[in-house]
Amino acid sequence: MRQIVFLFIVGAFVSTLIGIALYFIMRARRASKNAWRIMLGRLRQIDREKFAEVALDLLDDREEPHLEPDRIFEMIGGMNGLDALEENCDVLIDLATYVQRWYPDALQLSEELRLNAREIKWHIGRLRGASATGHLREQFPVYAQRAVATYYLMTRSLLVLYEGVKLPEFAELQQAL
Amino acid sequence: VHLSSLDRLFWALAFFGHCILLGVLLLRHRAAAFPVFTTLISVNIVRTIVLFFTLRYGSKEEYFYTYWTLAFVDLALQLAIAYELATHVFQPLGAWAPDVRKSFTALAATSVALAVGLAWLAAPPSKTLRLAIVIRGELFASALMSELFVAMIALSVTLGLPWRTHVARIAQGLGLYCLYGIFSDAAHAFFPAGNIYRMLSESQIGFYLICLTYWSVTLAMAEPAPRKLPAELHEELRALQERAALVLRSLRTTASAS
Repeated sequence: MRQIVFLFIVGAFVSTLIGIALYFIMRARRASKNAWRIMLGRLRQIDREKFAEVALDLLDDREEPHLEPDRIFEMIGGMNGLDALEENCDVLIDLATYVQRWYPDALQLSEELRLNAREIKWHIGRLRGASATGHLREQFPVYAQRAVATYYLMTRSLLVLYEGVKLPEFAELQQAL
Repeated sequence: VHLSSLDRLFWALAFFGHCILLGVLLLRHRAAAFPVFTTLISVNIVRTIVLFFTLRYGSKEEYFYTYWTLAFVDLALQLAIAYELATHVFQPLGAWAPDVRKSFTALAATSVALAVGLAWLAAPPSKTLRLAIVIRGELFASALMSELFVAMIALSVTLGLPWRTHVARIAQGLGLYCLYGIFSDAAHAFFPAGNIYRMLSESQIGFYLICLTYWSVTLAMAEPAPRKLPAELHEELRALQERAALVLRSLRTTASAS
């Protein structure tokens, strides 16, 4: 009896391994076929101009940011805006990874974007915690403006990369970001 | 140990197959990129010669111990190859990202645990402890190697890391061979001395010969040369990344102060 159970387990084990390998191979294939359009379609809508304004308010060389905390909250769209930003970070990484097919050293940018995204997500997680305890309004502007500024710089890096290697997708990317 | 004509043919073919592959690795300068894989192929050539003479002039005991000592060397080298291929895939720029290394280590640890579990479950109906250890050891090795290759595929696709042509070809051959080996080794546990095991074992060797041919052909061919990002583009990207790092640092400072 134990032998039958063992053979059944071996069958299930090998089938699972083959299934996992096929799933990831198909995923990689699918990604390489319609990769770019599908990736771009995953970008969630955000008000790009307002996000850029919030980011530049911090990034431009000036003594103090001009935007009021309430205004920042409104321009970003509260936690909904940050949720979209969080999801878009993953798309930015995939868009950088796409370039690696022709330029393997674009990996450096993908890796940096991935680390930035991880940190942004961690801070957004903290804001979710603050939201649960009713302290969102106090903490939001400080964290959110910096997260948006980092996201903005990530999008600029990606555009610089696409333009630098003269990918035909550059114009479309510029419109989307 | 009685060898059939087919066994002798396989033995000779494997020996010449390994010699050809070693020639390809050395003449096409692949040995520098894959030193562990080259070592494994060289060890297999030596192993074939040593086992041939041990079988001819040694005792059954001597053959057994020589075979299994060399089998452990083979397993250690296969594990080292998994690591060698992982370094090609996961650190193409020369350094592991900290979280990638962590994920890879976690996957490797899970693979070891699963392989131990499977080998423990085998319970071969063997009268000798020695044969039981042999059967479990073979099953453990095949299961572990298969899991490691599948884990590497999953992790690389998740992270979007591409496989260079030669790395992918070596991994495909070894991965499929080990996956097939699980069936053959499981059959060994089920029928320790049966014809079914013999048939599966012979087809596994046949499969390995196909892998040898596949490696010899694909490693002899050149990889497409990768393009390089212009230096000024690197500079521009670095400047942007430095600004992002500054913003994130201030975010960290704020977070730790609050």
